Amino acid sequence: MKSFDGDEMTDKMPKMTRIERRELDVLVSYDGGSEFDITYDDLRYACPCAKCSPLRNADEGCETLRKQVEALPKEKPKVRIVGNYALGFEWTQGCSSGIFRFERIWDLANRRDPDNGKLYVHGAW
Amino acid sequence: MSDSPVTTHDPNADDKPAEASPQEQKKMEQAYAQMKRKISMEEIGKQIKHKVMVLSGKGGVGKSTVSTGLALSLAQQGLSVGILDIDITGPNIPKMMGLDGQRLHVESGRIHPAQGHLGVKVISMAFLLDSEDTPVVWRGPIKLGAIQQFIGDVEWGNLDYLIIDFPPGTSDEPLTVAQSLPDIDGMVIVTTPQEVALLDSRKSITFSESLKVPVLGVVENMSGYTISGKATPGSEIEIAAPAGKTLKATADDEGNFSVTLDIFKKGGGRLTAEEFGVPFLGALPFDPGFVRGGDDGVHRIVSDPEGPSAIAFAAIVSALQEQIVEDAGDGLEII
Repeated sequence: MKSFDGDEMTDKMPKMTRIERRELDVLVSYDGGSEFDITYDDLRYACPCAKCSPLRNADEGCETLRKQVEALPKEKPKVRIVGNYALGFEWTQGCSSGIFRFERIWDLANRRDPDNGKLYVHGAW
Repeated sequence: MSDSPVTTHDPNADDKPAEASPQEQKKMEQAYAQMKRKISMEEIGKQIKHKVMVLSGKGGVGKSTVSTGLALSLAQQGLSVGILDIDITGPNIPKMMGLDGQRLHVESGRIHPAQGHLGVKVISMAFLLDSEDTPVVWRGPIKLGAIQQFIGDVEWGNLDYLIIDFPPGTSDEPLTVAQSLPDIDGMVIVTTPQEVALLDSRKSITFSESLKVPVLGVVENMSGYTISGKATPGSEIEIAAPAGKTLKATADDEGNFSVTLDIFKKGGGRLTAEEFGVPFLGALPFDPGFVRGGDDGVHRIVSDPEGPSAIAFAAIVSALQEQIVEDAGDGLEII
């Protein structure tokens, strides 16, 4: 259902040191010199907010979300630091609600499913 | 007077400006006061480093207790803190802060806040009521004026934190504050683990989007009641819990045991936070001492500063500060 591939997260996340916003993607640098690119489309597709997340639960929703994301203009987002644990991306169009934990960005950088295969459930208590 | 739309200057006419009618004068005075207040609100915004709104979707979740707890816990760190009790129709922060029956001091048209435990400054409608049984029945515009006065006409001085306590729900009070007070850091949503409270707290989170005020996090109150006791060392204790469950604990070598009862379920606040992609600041235990302390005017943090509730509040405050600390990125370069 999810359109991510890659291994299960087993490594320790290094400290994020730099975010470079490029034309179509963001280049994320970590302590130790490792660098990863994440396309803006992938970033938007992985939005963890309550509006976008449920769409990723089913194949149809995944396709819808992917199409919605790809139809948006390719723009550099504003990046804001949330506390000391996450980043927020602000776009002129589309959803800007999600707060991306550093772990989530690390998963995206490593081409892993940031939801770890878990379906999103409203009111899971 | 001529009906012509064209006017001509008559050199013989008296050029003195016409005197304003009493009604016009009153309007001008109001406009002047409003303008002065607006400037003052901007100034106050600069004097207060961090402003935090405390909201809940549902009443009775312990929002005022959390507001006072946050303020006292911050003050415990040596910070200068104020509480603005915006709950105009049901103000109860003064009672919780041991300021029952106090009056506000007004000097040169400026209102000076009362000072409660640990030097926390407090402004509340309760200070203006003749009796705590007097209801305040105000319509929107009057409430709005009172809130603006509480912000613009109060001599807060320099504060590290201003905690703003609201009535429950998504009414016009938060909107007025968000529009009047510049640079609000964000809001804390208080909830209990029960489903109706969680449903309403989700509304508050969505409400924050329309206010353009970020959610700093969710606090789960009444998150579990811990029973402690003594028994024979090594013995097993069984306690009948809600929903027909049995909780088991084993007494340690000294005979101490403790079991936590999840009276209103548990973990819903965290799940709500995760669901909306907002931080979960922490959970507060169900503590009857809060009720007693609230009634006696001695908050649990003051009466038992080393106790489990004070420790839980300190952890929540620490999580809150992580959200609003200025240089939280810690060397992260964004280009």
